[in-house]
Amino acid sequence: MAEIIPLTTGEASASQEPFKPGACKLHPQTMCPAFGALRVLARIEGAQPAMVTDTGCLYGLTFVTHFYAARKSIVAPALGTAELSGGKVQEAANAAIAEAAREQHVSVIPVISLCVAETAGLAEELLPTEVDGKPVVLVRVPAYAIHSHPEAKDIALAAVLRRFVDRQSDHEPGALVLVGEVFPADPLLIDGVLRKMGARVLTTLPGRHVDELRLAGRGAAVAALHPFYRETVNVLRERGVGVVTGAPIGAAGSAAWLRAVGAALDLDEEVVERVAAEEEETARGFLAAQPLKGATILVSGYEGNEMLYARLLIEGGAHVPYVSTSIGQSALTAADEAWLKAHGTEAVIYRKAIEDDQAAMKHWNFDLVIGTTTLAAYAKERGIPSVYYTNILSVRPLFLAGGMIASLSFVRELMHRRPLYERMVEFFTADGAE
Amino acid sequence: MTIQLIRDISDTSSFWGASWVFGCFPDLHIVCDAPIGCYNLLGVAVTDYTDALPQMTNLTPTAIREEDVINGTAGALVRTIDDLRGLGSLEGKRLLVISTAESEMISADHTRLVAQIDPQARFFWSRSLEQDEWTGRDRALLFAWEEYGRPFTDPAAAPKAPNLVNIIGPSLGCFNAPADLHEVRRLIEGIGGVVNLVYPYEGSVAGTPRLADAAVNVVLYREFGAPLAEALGRPFLFAPFGIFGTTAFLRDLGRLIGADPARVEAFIAREKCTTLQPVWDLWRGPQSDWFATVDCAIVAGRSYVEGLTALLGDELGMKIAWTSGRPRRPDEPDNIEIRRRIHTKAPAFVFGSINEKIYLAEANARATHYIPATFPGPVVRRTTGTPFMGYAGAANIMQELVNRFYEMVFNFLPVEQVKVPAGPGGPPRATAAGPPAPPSVETMPWTREATERLNAALEEVPYLARISASRSLRLAAEQAARARGAPEVTVDLVEAAIAQGG
Repeated sequence: MAEIIPLTTGEASASQEPFKPGACKLHPQTMCPAFGALRVLARIEGAQPAMVTDTGCLYGLTFVTHFYAARKSIVAPALGTAELSGGKVQEAANAAIAEAAREQHVSVIPVISLCVAETAGLAEELLPTEVDGKPVVLVRVPAYAIHSHPEAKDIALAAVLRRFVDRQSDHEPGALVLVGEVFPADPLLIDGVLRKMGARVLTTLPGRHVDELRLAGRGAAVAALHPFYRETVNVLRERGVGVVTGAPIGAAGSAAWLRAVGAALDLDEEVVERVAAEEEETARGFLAAQPLKGATILVSGYEGNEMLYARLLIEGGAHVPYVSTSIGQSALTAADEAWLKAHGTEAVIYRKAIEDDQAAMKHWNFDLVIGTTTLAAYAKERGIPSVYYTNILSVRPLFLAGGMIASLSFVRELMHRRPLYERMVEFFTADGAE
Repeated sequence: MTIQLIRDISDTSSFWGASWVFGCFPDLHIVCDAPIGCYNLLGVAVTDYTDALPQMTNLTPTAIREEDVINGTAGALVRTIDDLRGLGSLEGKRLLVISTAESEMISADHTRLVAQIDPQARFFWSRSLEQDEWTGRDRALLFAWEEYGRPFTDPAAAPKAPNLVNIIGPSLGCFNAPADLHEVRRLIEGIGGVVNLVYPYEGSVAGTPRLADAAVNVVLYREFGAPLAEALGRPFLFAPFGIFGTTAFLRDLGRLIGADPARVEAFIAREKCTTLQPVWDLWRGPQSDWFATVDCAIVAGRSYVEGLTALLGDELGMKIAWTSGRPRRPDEPDNIEIRRRIHTKAPAFVFGSINEKIYLAEANARATHYIPATFPGPVVRRTTGTPFMGYAGAANIMQELVNRFYEMVFNFLPVEQVKVPAGPGGPPRATAAGPPAPPSVETMPWTREATERLNAALEEVPYLARISASRSLRLAAEQAARARGAPEVTVDLVEAAIAQGG
């Protein structure tokens, strides 16, 4: 076993009072919800998005789309007072669709209808369903009604899946559809293990091609790796396939997930049990060292998959008293929440605001903060090692034993960086932060 | 009414522009009557990529929800202000409520409500559905002067000193503002001016009346700021670009602040052998010859377009292929046309935003050098070392371009790769009959059409890269001819070589 991680004293962390969330939710922590939709749609090869919205919204969303989703040109109609109050929204949307259709190699034209267009009213039945054979799909994502960026991914994915999914072919025995934006190596890791059980990964959504949407209809079961793909899962459920919730996370989680997949795909129970036990054993071998033992870690993101990481950290020996996310509570979040609560997590906050996270920072002493940009800045101002959840965790594998080892080793390295954070805050603030 | 189409929008709305102005004041708190998305994009996401600020700390949304769209946002606004007061976030701060496209869409005018809640608070109707960021910035600057400045000044009062100068314009979301501001401040101080207020960057609500103390205003940008300077009623100048433009600026400013002309000339003379010395050295060296051989396109704010056109075109003799300024004039290309031009023939240098960078990527225009010169697009420009304006700007831009020339030369030099590529042309395998024959060094005959096609293709290649490109295209075409056993190089072989990128 390894070097000792500098840790806060147990005393300071052991608070007597139960945690109370922030007194108010003034600053909700989520990317603009609509961005989730743009991210999913802009990354599809040949997709030519047409955005129906005002210029400020268009600027912000195009900015982040060009940074984080795809190097893709985006068209929109100019929508000002004259167009919005003059009943021209429909005409404007059609003009943008026509311009998008002029591109070469168009696979789909997603029409992304945002706050002002939704308020003015955009009628789906008055939009073309295709232009020159190029499919047009309306996606409604007003930020005032969707509330979080991950949930908009679900709405967008469900909209295109509904349009393209293959409803004719038979289900392929043993073929599993994965749903969730995961690190590219993760589906390969999962596929490798599934093949040992006589199954395989058919495709992973959201993907990069409409053919993947078609193919998803041939799956014999669907696994919602992230807990906010409710609409998407429903589209496949309508095809009569089994749904596996949760993800192959950590030792116990991976084995349980493999068993659930085995049941959903009707695989040979003995083989499944053997593979699940193998995975669990590999994971337990690594976890025996308890690489994060004694560390108190805060997990706060807006990606909707925060509970998975929290589970992993806890299995690695960390104390994770507080987890917050931008998504709402649902049947898909229940199992993870129950697991966390049974393993030392005192608070799981849905639809969180920075005020909730700051209350947690005051309530516990953390050795590491994995948070939103705002929270990570707040922690760095206090000399606490901290990283931006989205950028840092989504760039490495997470699932099964292999993913677990990669993620935990990285987190462990972060813990050693505390002196750097302390030195910076001492230099830049005369007497530390308030 | 015809519908205007926007491709990859360049200018944001007045809500953003106004918030980027008001957001500079540490003694002001902004409540934007907005859904969470507008708050996040402006306050957390984009401003981190334009200004490298983790977030705007003095911005709070009403977080409009579905029920507010139906019933109005007054309830959400009252709740937000109450919560801010509860947290103590408004202590020592003035409150400003600002409308957004969505709140304007449902006509949520809170002028009276805000006055009832707090007589010191103000409501700013941003007109975000009609106006762009430049108008928004101008209106915010005038609003700040009218509300927080002018009423507290004596209109008859003279400037506090004849050499006091305000710098107006630098605010959040202004590309490269710290470096340009640093240079303009250096120039002003160099001839004996004293910078009174940098507004709104270094301003505050409480300090706004001090705008009246200055004798002269320097407006940093052509695209906004002049209306405030006019309202202040003192003479003003625009910030300068280029060697000769900056010299003229220094002489004009010297006259306006009553500086001794000898001091101004002494400063200019000293600059020639310090800040500007690299310009003179590069001009006398072989580097300046290159400027005449390449073209560039400039997409940027009006100041940068005019300033770079003067520096690169009029002073250094580079060919300016085309430009498009912001706010865009009707005779300038919009993004649909810019994209078409870049796809058709990309200039050797493109100054622009991420939009132009995407169009270059779409066209696979790898020989073109892209230089960030405006937003949108994530880029950190927070140091003082990257000015476009003033003497330092001229030296910086010239240095940057010469380095890009060097880069171009480097990229076209032959290289022996350490890792030998596998497959055909790679190392001979054990089972192979022998190594592939080396390309013949004998000159092959070319048809006239083939030569003409080669020359036409080379016309499209930036000047510096032409020698290397001609060699690689020639070799590719000749190798293809030999492989096919053709006695001479024909035009179809040249086409194939061009299609494969030489």
